[in-house]
Formats: sequence, structure tokens, C-alpha cells
Amino acid sequence: MRDILSKLDGLGRRQFLEYAAKSALGVSVLPMFNNILEAAPSQPKGGKAKRLIYLYMAGAMSHLDTFDLKPGHKNQGETKGIKTNVPGMQISEFLPTLAEVFDKMAVINSMHTETGAHEQGEYIMRTSYKEIASTRHPSMGPWIQKFKGRQNKNLPDTVLISAPARHPNAGFLDPSFSPLPIGDPNRGLENTQSPSYLSENSFEKRIELINKFDKKFQNKFKTKEVLAYTDFYSQATSLLSSDELKAFDLNEEKAEDRDKYGRNSFGQGCMLARRLVENNVRCVEVTFGGWDMHRDIYDDGILPSRTGILDKALGNLLKDLSDRGLLDETIIVLTTEFGRTPVINQNGGRDHHPGAFSAALMGGGIKGGQFYGKSDAGGHSVDADGVLPADLNATVATALGLPVDKEIFSSDGRPFKVAHDGKAISKLF
Amino acid sequence: MSGKRISGASQTSRHWKAGTVFGVVVAFTILIISGLPDSDAAPRRKPVGKKPEPKKEEPLPPRFTVKSQPVNPAKLSSALNSAEQIDKLVEANYSKYKVTPNPMTTDEQFLRRAYLDITGTIPTYRETRYFLASRHPDKRKRLIDRLLDSDGYASHNFNYWADVFRYTDRLNGNVDGSPYRQWIKQCLAENKPWDKMVQEMITAEGLIWENPATGYLQRDSGMPLDNMNNTVRIFLGTRIGCAQCHDHPFDRWKQKEFYEMAAFTFGSSTRANGNDKRFYTSNDPNRRLRKEYEELGQEEKDRRRNQGRFNRMIRVNMMVVNDQNNRKIQLPHDYAYSDAKPKSVVEPKTIFGKPAEIKKGEAPRQAFARWMISKDNPRFALTIANRLWTQTFGRGQIEPVDDMMDSTVAENPELMKFLESEMKRLNFDMKEYLRIIYNTKTYQRQATSEDIPLSKIYHFPGPVLRRMTAEQAWDSFLTLAVVDPEEYREFPSKLESEIIAVNLNTATAQEVLDADQKKRDEIDKNRYKREKKYKYKGQLLARASELPSPVPASHFLRTFGQSDRELISASSDSGSVPQILFMFNGPVTHMMLEKGSTIYNNVIEQKTIKEGVDTIFMTILSRRPDSDESAIAVSEIEKNGPAGYGNVIWSLVNTREFLFIQ
Repeated sequence: MRDILSKLDGLGRRQFLEYAAKSALGVSVLPMFNNILEAAPSQPKGGKAKRLIYLYMAGAMSHLDTFDLKPGHKNQGETKGIKTNVPGMQISEFLPTLAEVFDKMAVINSMHTETGAHEQGEYIMRTSYKEIASTRHPSMGPWIQKFKGRQNKNLPDTVLISAPARHPNAGFLDPSFSPLPIGDPNRGLENTQSPSYLSENSFEKRIELINKFDKKFQNKFKTKEVLAYTDFYSQATSLLSSDELKAFDLNEEKAEDRDKYGRNSFGQGCMLARRLVENNVRCVEVTFGGWDMHRDIYDDGILPSRTGILDKALGNLLKDLSDRGLLDETIIVLTTEFGRTPVINQNGGRDHHPGAFSAALMGGGIKGGQFYGKSDAGGHSVDADGVLPADLNATVATALGLPVDKEIFSSDGRPFKVAHDGKAISKLF
Repeated sequence: MSGKRISGASQTSRHWKAGTVFGVVVAFTILIISGLPDSDAAPRRKPVGKKPEPKKEEPLPPRFTVKSQPVNPAKLSSALNSAEQIDKLVEANYSKYKVTPNPMTTDEQFLRRAYLDITGTIPTYRETRYFLASRHPDKRKRLIDRLLDSDGYASHNFNYWADVFRYTDRLNGNVDGSPYRQWIKQCLAENKPWDKMVQEMITAEGLIWENPATGYLQRDSGMPLDNMNNTVRIFLGTRIGCAQCHDHPFDRWKQKEFYEMAAFTFGSSTRANGNDKRFYTSNDPNRRLRKEYEELGQEEKDRRRNQGRFNRMIRVNMMVVNDQNNRKIQLPHDYAYSDAKPKSVVEPKTIFGKPAEIKKGEAPRQAFARWMISKDNPRFALTIANRLWTQTFGRGQIEPVDDMMDSTVAENPELMKFLESEMKRLNFDMKEYLRIIYNTKTYQRQATSEDIPLSKIYHFPGPVLRRMTAEQAWDSFLTLAVVDPEEYREFPSKLESEIIAVNLNTATAQEVLDADQKKRDEIDKNRYKREKKYKYKGQLLARASELPSPVPASHFLRTFGQSDRELISASSDSGSVPQILFMFNGPVTHMMLEKGSTIYNNVIEQKTIKEGVDTIFMTILSRRPDSDESAIAVSEIEKNGPAGYGNVIWSLVNTREFLFIQ
């Protein structure tokens, strides 16, 4: 079935290209076009996912100590493997909860990237483009909104939890697509309580007054940034009068359920992500820092503390989404900017390593219980099926049903694609 | 307006310097009649007439304050000369590229922008009033000088550099950053030449409280390669980080060149080895003290509880930045290029400019620092000249400020060359350089009212319209709400250092433990008491530069884009819904509307509603209302009484005009 579809797909495109060639060049199809068409890969199916939860491990998560174990190799360090619920597959002993739900995870152990600098690496991972001075590229949430339109009337389409200030946000897309950032998930969305003396009526009057007083300024300065603020004012106003505000409030959850996720910012962030997704927020990103382990990596406060938090939070997120029947339509991404050096340094830590690292995809039509790609024996470079950040993003975009080939033009007329030139990994669907 | 009193405010009259309303009104009248002085705004005049009852004042808690170095009046004419030359060079591009320059700023616009750009906050009502009333022909020049001389200059610029340096109060697991933080502030205030300041940071040795500039290396403790990457990026505007793992894909740097650069500082360690005879006379003090600790005869419960604290106190005292000249850097074991073998030792070598000569007996980083800060270095003066230009105009001559390549061309190469030569002529005097820029016509033009896409070359018809930085927004709110927002200052690091500094050669285990206890009792336990008076609904009402770094993620500053201090220059000025919610309902907004706030005090001094409205506009937007605005506001207040005042104030701080710098 899939083959037939992709053939039809190819045919359709060929006809289009023939048409384009004829009208543009006044000749029949050129031989070189045929070659290109033959080489065009089949489109992986996707489009099952409606929502995205994106978990970013800032500082670079060590692949050898999480998902890409090298038992018996001298690079392995102190981390041991444990069995997962998928026969024959092992992950780090520091991830026992994830081991129980490994049938829902597709782990990619052949990630690689072009830089070992945090900022640039993170930028490429989030946008598929390298950071340059002349533009800002959008992150995934605003891309979804660009293709699919704004989904919610009151709640935002994208929420960032604990994200760095320099998140790519909406990039060159309309600034009003900018995600809503939450600093501390425990506190949710703050300052939503109007003072008691203020009636709804007088609140509206205040808003009117703002517009009257600001008229001159807004008429003079019609820049995107100023307009975006005007949009945030109306978003904030409609959100304040909405019941859906509760989606941001973790106090609505039972204490023991909150305990399950871990009483830390990432655990609570994952729980908040679940609540928001249940309320139809399209994209939630949770950032979890502290993975830059140059020193004493196996000390209690370093690796085991990070992995412990990750394990509980993600493990329970997967279980909850699955129990609620939401996992199929929600794709979860676990990723980081690069890996860490396989050889442990003189300070007992691992340094930056862009040559090979791990990421994982879950839900949203992704086939769980598999490893994709391989690093070499020492975890040093990619051995087979290398995946670049753009490829990972293309896979995510495909799962979400976004047109990965479609060019979108920035206001200065330059073309960009959701996952740059990345190729989706069809084997994962 | 709600009539609630602010907790903690009522008992501290010092905090709310309202004086008597009558007195202030009289004072104003007298000043107006006797003619206003020029821009020397805001000397806090004592109310004439009735003297307020002297009240008992609590002593202030210990505060770290800077000593600011004023600009030299004798250099003004030379500065104006240079400003003129800059304008000529800018104007050359106007005609070359057919750019119409923006009109000149009004006094209102200029005043507000100068305050925000130089001191990081909007002017007070009083300052606005004086400046606008002054007819002195030199009032703009004098204002610039006065602001450069104020402590606000150091405060505002500290915020900028804290973002660049990723300054954190815990520089690493063992080192408290406050000596370094206070050193940065003092360097800015006393206007230490940039080259000296940088040299001290790169070459500093010792413990942080002996030599606070060591904080620069302590921030990257255990990450010598990253540190070199950061150094080159911050001070030389060049990114070699990609070459850390392989040849740079977009620039010309080779991996080997990266390692050659890193070789200069690789031997500089951030902690002393216990067996290092340069520091420790006998054997490893760590071992000796731990053994003694076991023999202290503590109860098992105490022994366990104190063990961590004890170990930490020793470690803190061993965080000595020092040079280990035998420690050499090697290429990685998988080095993949043919110009050298994997794991071969790399000798220090500079990537551009003249070679750095390492003198006999000195640490290589000494030579590196000399090379870097030299006027011959092709990118050192250039980088700082461009950085300060960018900070002032919202757009660089070279964009971005820290990613130059050989092919980089400035917007206006002659101008960039001139700016660089000025930086050198001034011997890296940053204040004087800024003084020149603020005095240009180009700076004193109105902000550009259209979008300027990043890909378009901007020819500086005026500064770019900028949103306030997070710190400017916070500090401006404070100016509206708190009578003396500069009263609270951070705790002087010296007082803490005196307690925790232990001589590891002679100290007994008991003394180490005592030092820890003393710090807990005298510093940590008093924090609450020190801050209580300055807190409102849990928020410490102090300038952004006095607050912890990083502040918690949900703080106003972070919501408005302050960096989490993980990456270089990671702050942001883009908008979001939570920012609006802060403006709507945040604690500082509430406080501003309460009795005793600055704006409240300003308004109640006025006799008529119309005067009240004028005052509100001048306090919040640094300008008078036009007749339409005035009529709207007056009618709102007539209809709703005191609540009407609240509505007008609330609405004005929620305008884009408030948040953007024209």
C-alpha cells in the first residue's frame, strides 16, 4: 500500500515538474529531470500526531550513560546496563522507569551534529539551521502554527517551560506566534489575579484607556515588535477571562500524582506539559539544564541526580499519556545539543562531543521498542544511519503532518523550510 | 487607589521620604519663583518651612557601594570634536545611500533615553521637571556628564556585563562570586580602562577574596577549553568554539589553532593541589585536617552533619587560581588532520596579529593577555568600540558583536575605523568613549519608526527603537514605586571573606568548623533581617544590579528576558503574555498604586486634577500630556475619584510608549 502511494505521489510530482519545465523552458521534459525523479525518496507516512511535547536536555546529555551503552568497552565508565521490557534491549541502570516503558520509545543512537559549542548546537537542534546574524529561525511550535493556524482561542498554541531567554521562539515568523514562557511550573502562570476592587467592567475600561493614551505612539511606531506587544495584550486579556487558565495550575492535581513526577522543576514541568496537552495546547517544550558534566560525572549530585529526575518525569509522562489514550496523537521528543566525550577526562568528567549522541522519539505514530542507528564500538562516531538535527526535526514535522518540502518566505524574501533540508526517518513510523 | 499600607513601610519613615506635603509644595513654589537651575536636576532639596519631626531611624544594614569617578570637564571640547567627526562620517553615508535622517529628539525624548541608556532607569518626576524647564544651552551635555558620573552608570553597565560574563553568584560549586561581582561594579564606576580590567581578569592569581578578578577563570572552573572559547568571543569578537572539535566549518580556524590558543591558559588551574609547596608548607592540609576532624570527639550525629560543611570550607579555601607550567595541552586522541599526530603536545600560539612572546619564568597567560589587550591586536579595540556603539544605537557597526570573520565589513568602514582609533586614543576609557557617542547628533536623533530587518544594512538615521531591557523595565518600575530604590545595596563581600578565610597551613580542624559556624550565624541567618525592610510581597525592592544572579525563573526580570547566565549575552527583549500579566497584576504594579509610592507622593502634592494628570504623565512618560490626553484623564478622574487616578496610572504604565525607548 505504502509503495503504491509513494509511486502515485512521485507521478503527481513528475507531472508537475514536467508542466513546470514546459512552461518555463518551452521544451518537453529534460532528461535530467527524470533522474531527479527516480532518485526522489518515498515519503514516509506520518501525520498521526496532533501535539508535540519537546524535552530538551540543556548542557549536552551523555549518550554513553543513558541510551547508548558500551558494555565491556573501556569508555563505558561506571554506568551499567539494565534490561528493558523489550527483550534483548538494554539502557542505562540510571533509567529504571523508562526501562519499564521502553516498548514506547524509539531511541536514535546515531545522532551527530556540526558543532560542540552549546549555544550553536542548541540553536541547530531547535531550528535545523545554523545560527547566523542576518535572521532568526523559528522553533517547532511557531512552525506548526504557521502551517496549521492558531488552534486555541484562549490558550496559547505553544508553551515553553523553564526555557532559556534566548530561545529562538517565533524567529522570523510573526512575533505574535511567540510561545508563552513559564519560568517555574510550580507557580504556573502568575499574576492572573486582578485586585479585588477591580470589576470586570472597570478592567475593560482600563484597557480602553491604554489604547487611547497609546494611540500617538502606536501610530508612529508600527514596527513588528510594537505590534506584537499589542497582540500580547489582547491574548493576555482574553486568557484572563477564560476558565482554561486552570490548565496552568498544578494545584488542581493530587499531591501523590505530583510526587510521582518528582517534586522538581523538570518533573513538575512534565506534568504541566501533560495538563496543557490535555487542554489542547499544541506544543509544549520543557527544558532541563545541568547536563554539562565536565567533572566528577558519577558523583551523586551530578549524573545520577539528572538521570533520576529525567527517568521519573518522562516515565510517568509516558504512562499517563498512554493511560489516557493520548500517546498516539502526541509525539514526545527527548533531545540535547550533542553528546559527551566517550573517554573520561582527567577530572572524572566528560567533555563536549558532537560526533555521536542519543535522542529519542515516543508516541505520535512512532514505533516504540527500537533502537535506530548505531555509534561505533567506543561510542565515538556514527557507524550506521547517521541522523542530523535537521533529520530529527523532519521526522517530528512529518509525524505532525507538516509539509517538510514547503518553502516559507521570511519578510525579506528568503525561503526556509520547517526542517531545513532534513530527511525524515521512515523506519521509525 | 486602594488605601492599603505597605507592610514594613509604616514603621520606616526613611523609606518613604514623603516629608510633609506642605513643605514640598512650598519648596516647589520657591524653586519655580526663584528660577530653575540648569540641568543639574534633582539635588534633593530639604523642604523649606516646616521641618518634619526628626524620627528615629534604624541603622542601614551593611551595604556595598561603589566610588564613581566623574568625567573630566577639561576633556569635553575634545569629546565634542570627536562627536562632530562621527556625525560627519555617518552623514557621508546618508548621502551615499540616500537616507533621510530622523528628526532630532525633543527634550522629553532625549531626557528619557539618556537616563535609560546611561543609568538604566527612567528619570524621576523631579528630574524631568528640572530638565524640561531649563533653558541652559548646554543642558544636554551637562545631563550626559552628570549621568555618567552617577552610580547608576555602574549599575546599568554591570547588568550588561553580567550578561556577557555569565556572572553567577555561585561561580562554581565552591566559589561565591560576590567579590568578583563587586569588583566588576567598582571597575565600571571608577572607569578602569578596559584593557587593564581585561588584563586583570585573564592574569589574576589567588583566592577570590584576595584577588576578585580571579572570578573570571573560576566561572569556567574545570573547562579550560570553553574558557578560551569564551575569552576570544567576548574580548576579540571572534568565535573559535567550533574548532574545539574539528576545523571550523564556517570560518578559517583549524582545530590545531584552537588548541594552540587554549595552550596559553590550559596550565592555569582554579584550585590548588594539596601537595603544592607554593601554597602549603607541610603535607596536604586536606588530609591533615580531615584526620584531625575525626579526632575532635564529636557526637556521631554532629560528626555526620558537619562533615559536608567542614569539607566544603576546606575546598573553598583551596580554590586558588594558579599556574602549573608543566601542565601541557594535548591534541585529542582522535585528532583527524594530517598537520599533527593525535595526542601530541601543542605549544601556545596566537591565531592572528603578532606572536605573543612568553618571557622566561612567566605563565603563558601573561603573554597571552599582553597580546590580547595590545593596541596592535587587530580585534581588541575594534570589539569593544563596536560593542559600546551597539549598546547605544541598538544596532552594531558590525553585527553581531562577537562573530567577526576576515570577510566582515562594517556598515561604515571609515566610521568603524575612526571609532576604533578613538578607543585607542582614549586608552580604552569607556566612559569618555560613551560621552562622545552620546554627544553626537546621530545619537540625539529620534528613533527609527520602521522595521529594520536583520538582513538589511542600517545606515543609522538615528538609534533603533528598542524595548527596555528586563533590567531597565524593572528599575523603571522601581523608580515609579519606591521612594529610594537605591537605598538597598548588596552585602559587602569583604565581611563574609573575613570570616571564611582560613589559613590552611596553621588552622586546626576546630577553627575550620568554627569559621563555618560563624558564617552561618553572622551572615546567613541575618539575611532575612537585612532584606525584610525592603521586601514587598516577597519581592526585594532593589535595583536589578543588587539582586541575586541568576534570579529565580519566575522573577519579573526573567519574565522580561534576563539571562539565566548559562550562555554569553543570552538576554532577550521579545514579548510574551506573562510580561503583560506582570504589568497588569504584578506586585510592583500594585505597590505603585498604593499610598507611599513615589508616584502617589507626586500626585498628592498637586492642587488640581489637571496638575495631577500632568504630574502622572511626567512621572511615567517623562512628558506632559497633550490636550486630548489631558481631557481623557481628567474626565476619568472626575468620574471615578481616587480610583480614576489609579486607572490612569495603571493604563499609562501599560502603554507601549512606556516600555519602548524612543
